[in-house]
Amino acid sequence: MILTSSNTLENKKVIDYKGLVTGESLIGSNIYKDIFSGVRDVVGGRTTKYEEELEKARDLAFKSMTEKAQNLGANAIIGLKISYDNLGGTMGNTILVTAYGTAVKFE
Amino acid sequence: MVPQSNLNNMKIKGHEVDFKYIAKVIISIGIGTAFGLIVYGVFLYFHIAIFGWNLGLIFAPLAAGYAETIVANRILGKNLGAISAFILFIDTVIYSFILKNDTLGMNLITAGSILVILQAAFPTVINYILLVVIGAVVSNFSWVFKRITAFLKKGKSHVRWETKETEIPIESLYYDENASNERINSLNFYFLTSTDMQDRDHELLGIYQSEVIIENKVKIQLKNDEREKKHLCNIKEGKDKCLIKLANKIKSHGGNGILDLHIQYGLIGRGGDCIHITATGMGINIIL
Repeated sequence: MILTSSNTLENKKVIDYKGLVTGESLIGSNIYKDIFSGVRDVVGGRTTKYEEELEKARDLAFKSMTEKAQNLGANAIIGLKISYDNLGGTMGNTILVTAYGTAVKFE
Repeated sequence: MVPQSNLNNMKIKGHEVDFKYIAKVIISIGIGTAFGLIVYGVFLYFHIAIFGWNLGLIFAPLAAGYAETIVANRILGKNLGAISAFILFIDTVIYSFILKNDTLGMNLITAGSILVILQAAFPTVINYILLVVIGAVVSNFSWVFKRITAFLKKGKSHVRWETKETEIPIESLYYDENASNERINSLNFYFLTSTDMQDRDHELLGIYQSEVIIENKVKIQLKNDEREKKHLCNIKEGKDKCLIKLANKIKSHGGNGILDLHIQYGLIGRGGDCIHITATGMGINIIL
């Protein structure tokens, strides 16, 4: 499965547009993780736990999206977009990771 | 000759110290402490106790503070904040718990009394621990405050609380994501995130946008992980509704596709209690 954020695939012709494919995942607020990340910030450490969680969430969104593309019989996703939105409001961190694109079949 | 007032005052590190005043303070605290110790002695001698708990532990500090306040008011014209009560508290606790701890039995009365003594000595800290720390922990794990507020709102609230008796299967809360994707792609409509459609002829219809607002919370009682899953499902359902709405809008204007589709999520409402989902793009009519 080829993933690209561009409109086309170099030297390849799109023969069928299979449709929209999306993948989403959510990182919920976790009081213990928040506390330990806060402590690590205070003592000068990096909040690597959050980075790992974000990476995991992005991978999950990608996996969900590519599975859908495969189910549609596509072999590439073009116009790929990824976004991260904080939906925590005043209550803290709830991050929504979304990935979506157009599933296509190329020659 | 040195004036009488100067005999009582002396400068230490540039600060004037009134020894007469200090002497009066010490006398007040001393009398208070002595009276408290006498009271404690009386309670011990006559074994004035409940369930092995000597009431002198409570009354001796009170008596010390009372005596100190009366003496201080007489000789200083103000009270000292019952310092001797605190001294008595330390004395009696050391005596009862360390030196003579065999007289005490560990039971509910003892535990309650310890709490009362600590609460009297350190009211702010103990009240904070009791009300805020313990209250927050209990609330977090038992949802007690949420249940109370839900009960108070009963009748006018739209929050539905599930109990074990009315429990519904977890699977039924979630919708089939693949089925949803197929539904979106079987609307005879092209959702394209790319800005171009290679060699397909199409007519541009203009910018189109649709939006859906959903609540940023799960209203049913679930465990944390399930709650998160349900929250994500609600967002996905909201997104699907938004895309269907957008497709219907463009179809009503003779279109059959959209280019450069963007799906965005944002928070609106007081404290971000709603999620605003928007789908935007260029409506097109593909000449098939």
